[in-house]
Amino acid sequence: MTNIQVFDPALCCSTGVCGVDVDQQLVSFSADIDWAKQNGAQIERFNLAQQPMAFAENAAVKKFLELSGAEGLPVILVNGDIALTGRYPQRAELARWAGISATQEASPPAGKCGCSGKSC
Amino acid sequence: MKFLDQPPRFLFFTGKGGVGKTSIACATAIQLAEAGRRVLLVSTDPASNVGQVFGVDIGNRIVALTAVNNLSALEIDPQAAAQAYRDRIVGPVRGVLPETVVKGIEEQLSGACTTEIAAFDEFTALLTDSPLTVDFEHIVFDTAPTGHTIRLLQLPGAWSGFLDEGKGDASCLGPLAGLEKQRTQYKAAVDALADPQRTRLILVARAQQATLREVARTHEELAAIGLNRQFLVINGVLPAGEAASDALAAAILAREQAALAHIPEVLKALPTDRIELKSFNLVGLPALKQLLGAANTPLPASAETQAVLSAPNLAALVDEIADDGHGLLMLMGKGGVGKTTLAAALAVELASRGLPVHLTTSDPAAHLTETLAGDLEHLTVSRIDPQAETERYRQQVLASKGAGLDAQGRALLEEDLRSPCTEEIAVFQAFSRVIREAGHKFVVMDTAPTGHTLLLLDATGAYHREISRQMSGKDLHFTTPMMQLQDSKQTKVLLVTLAETTPVLEAANLQSDLRRAGIEPWAWVINNSVAATPVHSPLLRQRAKNELREIDAVATRHATRYAVVPLLAEEPIGTARLRQLAEGLSA
Repeated sequence: MTNIQVFDPALCCSTGVCGVDVDQQLVSFSADIDWAKQNGAQIERFNLAQQPMAFAENAAVKKFLELSGAEGLPVILVNGDIALTGRYPQRAELARWAGISATQEASPPAGKCGCSGKSC
Repeated sequence: MKFLDQPPRFLFFTGKGGVGKTSIACATAIQLAEAGRRVLLVSTDPASNVGQVFGVDIGNRIVALTAVNNLSALEIDPQAAAQAYRDRIVGPVRGVLPETVVKGIEEQLSGACTTEIAAFDEFTALLTDSPLTVDFEHIVFDTAPTGHTIRLLQLPGAWSGFLDEGKGDASCLGPLAGLEKQRTQYKAAVDALADPQRTRLILVARAQQATLREVARTHEELAAIGLNRQFLVINGVLPAGEAASDALAAAILAREQAALAHIPEVLKALPTDRIELKSFNLVGLPALKQLLGAANTPLPASAETQAVLSAPNLAALVDEIADDGHGLLMLMGKGGVGKTTLAAALAVELASRGLPVHLTTSDPAAHLTETLAGDLEHLTVSRIDPQAETERYRQQVLASKGAGLDAQGRALLEEDLRSPCTEEIAVFQAFSRVIREAGHKFVVMDTAPTGHTLLLLDATGAYHREISRQMSGKDLHFTTPMMQLQDSKQTKVLLVTLAETTPVLEAANLQSDLRRAGIEPWAWVINNSVAATPVHSPLLRQRAKNELREIDAVATRHATRYAVVPLLAEEPIGTARLRQLAEGLSA
């Protein structure tokens, strides 16, 4: 089975509640993860502020941090390889990596504007 | 004293900084020990002089005090506890991950919430059956955990999959991530707190409206989680006799008596003690023994007036501010030091010089700002309601994020949203709508985010800075909100404090927090100074004398510039009296 690992920046919470704005990306992404897990995907999340050892112990992520710093996060690994950096994946990308077929792919929940970051 | 009647094993004193918790806790411990009980005194006061009082170095271990039989003491330094806590999480990756990354993680764990949880972590062993404390019949604490901390520890969602499985969770566990002990131990500690047979909570306040309101909130919050056995102590009440000798004392007496007469309804049912303002300094064993005892030996009244302190006034600061023509002024300080009043005084002073000013406050009472509206040609006044803003922010988050969570996750999110940081962020967000006006006029705000919050908010700013660095060769102008706050030409932070030990220390902590964010407070303002006004009353003269040491510490150690604002006999409401604040009485 595909293993997806998400290395989040040092958010005091992965919901992003503590940020200047509740980041719509994070909110949507949390929902997307739930959806993907329900469809059988295997996804792990690591928060830099809470589990820094996970970052230090993964060679690819450690190297990435040395090159790009924490500003470059998040990093998404698929089966150990870097698949995406600097933004969170769309639901379609998660589906493709996890091999969730299109028929199972529900439309994103209503009320999410779909735009990025704080410019909602 | 009612609060000393049949005391249970644990006594907690709580109240805002400077109300006298530590002195009363010391006096209580001494009194119980002299009655033959074996007592442990636990101080978390960063300004603690407990060691000094008893003539021994105490520190973070239980020390038997020779000066008083049966009494031992322990000092917990919350900052050191928080540092140890951070080291547990960050230590293993130091030198492994890049330096800037490690610093970022440390900042996440540098907020007030982390300090609180870390201090509670240290308490836990004292509240549960431990060989360390088994010999003590009473343990007296000069502080108490907040409702937020206790509720967080009570939530099952805060623990699931974390300490048990050693894995992260999808929600906000930041402050709990470094907890060492077993969940059962925290549960035992929280249970001990909520058990009236074992624990008594003593709220300490002053006879001031704002302080009493704050204490009423603390009372309700802690009662709601089971700490029902509460007592109230009103400390430092001016004795009626003082009013005869001078007008300022009479005004203070009248104000205090009015505050006590209109004490919040919820506090009326509590067993209440009053402690009179003492003529002596609460330093040393003999003084502390007298604190809870009989009345004052009256000091001789004097016909003379003490020399009024000669110090820079607020108007002198305004002269320098006015030169810039526009900019953002933020007043920062702990609750109850008079930020709103001073913001209004600054705004009035600037506007009366013909400069355009927008005063925006979070004044809950609104009466101060209302009296100014339309008074001065160049002054506009607006107000935000912190409670309404925070509630709106909470609802917005719950509606978006809460929708996808299960019951436990939602409860945890709701608790996250009750943290002090949430209110700070919500209020700052509301204020930021007017900040952009500061490019062409003065904007005066009675609040400011802490350095910790700013650093967290700047996570994106750091990225922008990186871009601007790369583009610097191409002659592009690039500023981030953080850079605007760091530039004293654009933004001036004024730290507001009182001329008392703990408030000055708290302001110094706020200053070092801001410095971490690269912001240097532009000036300090010492409010409600008795030393800056002529007094006859012996008690007030004593207080004026005590203030001088603190004012000197601010002038010589903490501040690059400062001003002293006198305590006025009448509430500074309206343009004329606000200007009196700024000009000072000696001028």
